[in-house]
Amino acid sequence: MAKVPRNFRLLEELEKGEKGIGDGSCSYGLEDGDDIMMSHWNGTIIGPGHTVHENRIYSLKITCGENYPDAPPTIQFISRVNLPFVSQVDGKVDPSKLPVLAHWNRNHSIETVLVEIRREMASFNNRKLPQPPEGSTFS
Amino acid sequence: MSLPKRIIKETERLVADPAPGITATPHDDNLRYFDVTIQGPDGSPFQNGVFRLELFLPEEYPMAPPKVRFLTKIYHPNIDKLGRICLDILKDKWSPALQIRTVLLSIQALLSAPNPDDPLATDVAKHYKENEKDAQRVSREWTEKYASA
Repeated sequence: MAKVPRNFRLLEELEKGEKGIGDGSCSYGLEDGDDIMMSHWNGTIIGPGHTVHENRIYSLKITCGENYPDAPPTIQFISRVNLPFVSQVDGKVDPSKLPVLAHWNRNHSIETVLVEIRREMASFNNRKLPQPPEGSTFS
Repeated sequence: MSLPKRIIKETERLVADPAPGITATPHDDNLRYFDVTIQGPDGSPFQNGVFRLELFLPEEYPMAPPKVRFLTKIYHPNIDKLGRICLDILKDKWSPALQIRTVLLSIQALLSAPNPDDPLATDVAKHYKENEKDAQRVSREWTEKYASA
């Protein structure tokens, strides 16, 4: 199979993100429409229902380095959230604690990362974790 | 993973007999991925500029068109902020009879003949329609600022 280079892969992801993915519970877009290298992205996750996260809107920063998608993106929560793979100091996601990043392959995408994080929010161990006040941010 | 003969032939010819003002060099680690340069055509606001582009031949090529975008910033109504190009042969007017060479020549021709009636960068197109002289001045400025060799 032809190996899609980083930039064309990110253009595909951008176009998919602009159309809207799934039911809208996860979304993403470029932080700056002028970012010709398409490195800096914003993501949003709407907390899954029937969990402590229900109706909360979480913002994240996603950074795709020059080796993306051979290497995973780095993820940092802007909104405060209590999850075992999120640093309570600065909101950075520890890639070794999140399977989609720890076992990365180039078929994964920004979308799969957001969807997996949302799935983790609803997991048995995480769905009832006490959470910081809604709307607070790491700064 | 072998490269289709057609791509090998096209690449050989691009390197041995390049089109005037155009270079296309495949990456060593991905022979479907090319670094491209296009010189701004004489008499256009892009004259004296050297523009960097990237081109990728998807799995379906030549049944599907190559993917191409500008890496050098350019003030042109049919090229957006991310370097994406609005050109019919890269979309619905693609034909497998076209080649990398013809695509790059068409992009070079697009620099000589902007088409503000089919815009991708709507603000630039508006500028071109309302005051072509002033828009061309900005195109020249950007060429000097971002595309000087």
